[in-house]
Amino acid sequence: MNKKPAWLSFVGLLVIVSLLFSACSPGQKPPASSSPTEAPAEIHFAFLSFNKIPETDALASVEEAINAITVPKINATVKLHPFSVTDYAQQVTLLLQSGEGLDVYHTLGDLPQRVANNEFIDISTMIDQYAPETKALVGDDFLKTATLHGKLYGIPAYKGMAMAPQLVYRADIMEEIGVDPATIKSVYDLTEVFAKVKAKYPDMIPLVPVQTGNIGLITLLMSTQYKVDFLGDSYFTPVAVLIGDDMHVVNFYETQAFRDIVNLAREWYEKGYVLKDAATTTSNVLEFMSAGKAFAYIAAYAGNQAYTQISAQTGQPIRMVRLAQPYLSSTSVNALTWGVSTISKHPEAALKFINLLFTDKDVINLVIYGIEGRDYVKIDEYHVKYPEGKDASTVPYTAQLSCGIVGNQFIQYQMEGTDMDDLKLMEYELKHSAMSPAMGFTFDGSSVVNEYSAVVNVINEYVPGLTTGSMDPAEIPNFLEKLKSAGIEKIVAAKQQQLDEWLSTQK
Amino acid sequence: MERLLSKDEKRFKKASILFVGLFAVIVFSPFVLIAICSISSTESLISKGYSFFPKSLSLDAYLYMWAQGKVILRAYGVSLFVTIVGTATSLVITPMLAYPLSRKDFRLRGLFTFLVFFTLLFNGGVVPSYIMWTRVFSLKNTIWALILPTYLMNGFNVLLVKNYFERSIPRDLIEAAQIDGANEWTIFSKIMVPLSVPVLATIGLFTGLAYWNDWINGLYYISDPSLYGIQQLLIRILNNIAFLRSGAAASVVGNMVISLPGESIRMALAVIGILPILIVFPLLQKYFIKGIVIGAIKG
Amino acid sequence: MKRKHSFLKSFSHELPLLLLALPGLVYLIINNYIPMLGIIIAFKKLDYAKGILKSDWVGLKNFEFLFSTPDAWIMTRNTLLYNLAFIIIGTIFAIVLAIMMNEIADRFFAKYFQGMYLLPNLISWVVVSYIVFAFLNADTGLIPKVILPALRAKDINFYTSPGYWPFILLIVFLWKNTGYTSVIYLSSIAGIDRTIYEAARIDGAGKLDQIRYITLPLLKPTIIILFLFSIGRMMYSDFGLFYQVTLNSGALFSTTQTIDTYVYRALMQFNNVNMASAAGVYQSIVGFILVLGANLLIKKINPENALF
Repeated sequence: MNKKPAWLSFVGLLVIVSLLFSACSPGQKPPASSSPTEAPAEIHFAFLSFNKIPETDALASVEEAINAITVPKINATVKLHPFSVTDYAQQVTLLLQSGEGLDVYHTLGDLPQRVANNEFIDISTMIDQYAPETKALVGDDFLKTATLHGKLYGIPAYKGMAMAPQLVYRADIMEEIGVDPATIKSVYDLTEVFAKVKAKYPDMIPLVPVQTGNIGLITLLMSTQYKVDFLGDSYFTPVAVLIGDDMHVVNFYETQAFRDIVNLAREWYEKGYVLKDAATTTSNVLEFMSAGKAFAYIAAYAGNQAYTQISAQTGQPIRMVRLAQPYLSSTSVNALTWGVSTISKHPEAALKFINLLFTDKDVINLVIYGIEGRDYVKIDEYHVKYPEGKDASTVPYTAQLSCGIVGNQFIQYQMEGTDMDDLKLMEYELKHSAMSPAMGFTFDGSSVVNEYSAVVNVINEYVPGLTTGSMDPAEIPNFLEKLKSAGIEKIVAAKQQQLDEWLSTQK
Repeated sequence: MERLLSKDEKRFKKASILFVGLFAVIVFSPFVLIAICSISSTESLISKGYSFFPKSLSLDAYLYMWAQGKVILRAYGVSLFVTIVGTATSLVITPMLAYPLSRKDFRLRGLFTFLVFFTLLFNGGVVPSYIMWTRVFSLKNTIWALILPTYLMNGFNVLLVKNYFERSIPRDLIEAAQIDGANEWTIFSKIMVPLSVPVLATIGLFTGLAYWNDWINGLYYISDPSLYGIQQLLIRILNNIAFLRSGAAASVVGNMVISLPGESIRMALAVIGILPILIVFPLLQKYFIKGIVIGAIKG
Repeated sequence: MKRKHSFLKSFSHELPLLLLALPGLVYLIINNYIPMLGIIIAFKKLDYAKGILKSDWVGLKNFEFLFSTPDAWIMTRNTLLYNLAFIIIGTIFAIVLAIMMNEIADRFFAKYFQGMYLLPNLISWVVVSYIVFAFLNADTGLIPKVILPALRAKDINFYTSPGYWPFILLIVFLWKNTGYTSVIYLSSIAGIDRTIYEAARIDGAGKLDQIRYITLPLLKPTIIILFLFSIGRMMYSDFGLFYQVTLNSGALFSTTQTIDTYVYRALMQFNNVNMASAAGVYQSIVGFILVLGANLLIKKINPENALF
């Protein structure tokens, strides 16, 4: 038989290669200390960029400028890995699993899952030694949201997280229909406004979705109107939540709040106030606005001045009015949490680098804006703009749209036209907004992952239709029935149990 | 060459022309729509939707592209290089493997055929492949990362060629050559390959299309934009838009409204991806048809 | 002794063939077989600090989510039925097109037609989804706004009416793939010896007889190979077709949810590598069993045509 040797050699090869695999998992971490005589530690640093990804030589020049600061300060050099939003999760996974190396990166609303994967090291004690300034800046309330099972796994980005739902509207039309925006106090006041728009401009769509399948009503639930804490669930697929100060976890879709919202959406839909295809549209909200086809949309913004940028982008006179006040919960705080990876060979230096991202304005400005003169020019102490004849897509390096992602938003330069008072408002509201009583509690869903996968699919089936009005609210009982058979009660119970345990440790 | 056609055959020929032509129109009309939308104004696209008769025209999308001219040209260059080198290499090693598999007297035939087929059913996911190509072969951010992984040889193509070798090339031909003392390489290169032009043209076409369309390799192995191929450039933009339109983005970064390339630009992107093929195809097609006809005559 | 001798002899006989196969085999080992080790991820709970190999085994736990849902039946049914329809109708279309294209291959415009058929294969599903939306959307779509009123038919909102989607998806599938598949059949037809047809003509066989008694039987091996490939992918579905073309519309799930879209939606929030991998292993194993079964059946009926 000459079949055997072929098989055998094949098996042999597999064995050799499996050895190769094991070489990829990191060995013992060397006890790295940063006495100045040692060679600088190399920190691989990944972050999300909504701008064009820069080319290698542009990155290298920025890295060089950052190193000029980091080598004397923390004896480390930095490798930048900006990834676009479609690549980020995938590339971080590859860098971590392949052993190529990644030291510092951030979560994308998935902190508990990443902790369950053992991706981040415990920095509970290290933070006092290597990032004390950041600890003081971010504060215990926010740090608690990155604490699971009593261990601190990261530092939430310090940015305008206190977002309020706003009606973003065409000021000229608002005036035309004779409505004083100051009289709009809640979402329920909008029906009348839309009716007037529809009467005067039958071709115009009063309300368009801010994203496909979201006309902004779910966003509103974060508001003081209902004070909902999603307890770690995604805003678009909330499952088990807290409402107000009641510490009983409830199935979100059985609540009156959800019914009210769905009924409102249905009313708007039937009266023609909402884009019919809101659940599936392929057009972008800004296109609707700039084409003059839409009157308004609802979205959550921090501060009150975002409309200046939107006006510039759409070429229309845009203003906005708050529909409710911000309401902070763990979910809104820890969505972007910076951590040190478990495969890092220099965890101390990595944490010191995170500290710089929160406290050193030169480092953060380099990461966000690149090299002065080439990538941006200063207007005054606080404001910058692109060099003459250049824009975001033509400068060699910029990550300007990541301004709310990397470290500390409040010490960066701002783009031309940003009102510093608005920035101050953002920071003020960050510290003084209403907070969920479960602030700091972070749910670990790994015990109910099967139920989650089934429940999330059911939610995807019904919620976009229900909350944009295209599905009849009479479907709600079927929806609830399906959620039940998908196991939603188990999720509610698991959450309640973890919450109770957490509460007992908080006293 | 002129053959006398029976009435029946003439009728069939007419029916064929009708059917093939009709299908061509159906297949092609969406492309006309794409092209028209790419020169429609945003205002028209939003208020009237995608239409064969837009309200107003605008070349904005192409002016936007023109501003990116250098980037697009470079991406064309990368795609072209990758497609040519990849397809050429594939056309060498694929029939080389297919030939032994087609030989009934090759004892490892059954095992090897199974091994080839098995690759079509199972894969270990991206992480092990990534480790293989980046850690062992150091391909990350090199042009070879766009050529070597996944597409260089495909089990499907191997089996297609094997099938063709078995069915369309008479066994006596090989036996006669063996009696004449020809070695396996000579039989392969002087008999099998020249007689298999139709199937080689087919797998060459498939491999070429796969390379031209590929963006997955770029997604995994290329982070330097100077090595982006054209599809990668386009898909990145389209997927970023699709992601930002979806709720997934908002749950992370809030309802940050980012100015996305408008719909006409998305359509212009599609045109730019197809355009070179539209230009090159009739030229290639000549050889392709020729290949098939030559194959038919010799067969 | 004698046995060894014959082994050596046969080895020297087979060595050149082995050498020819070598580059391809080496590539398959590097590109396909070694990475297959990754399948173990499906049976582990990944711990990044420990790496893939040293992570803990968890048995079949990662597979549970595929079966513990009320949608398990719907997504499996949809996947299988769509694939069945695609295999049968897709094959018929591709063969008819190939035969007819071969018929007119001598016409100068034939090459342009053929080029056109391959175009759909060149555009991404995202763009396809925009085009489909352009035809079907309720606000401005060509069908609801122009064609249905002209026919005096009642208004239809396609993206909330699941009943239409098996047909819509079948049409989109045929539009995108028929040209591509027909090239394979066309090359097979081109490989058929012309003299067979001439002989048949002399015997007075009409065109349809020629197709029925010559072309189709000679295409059988190709049809069977393509059939076996499709059977192996029976549990898979084209994500772009079922997720992007339907614009992820929840109201359509009853007729558009497939195993792939379910897994994607289920894992989006958790980004769980283990469970994604488990889903792939499950799909592959079922496909593998189906192929082995189909191949066995073919072997019984017609051993010549079996793949291995």
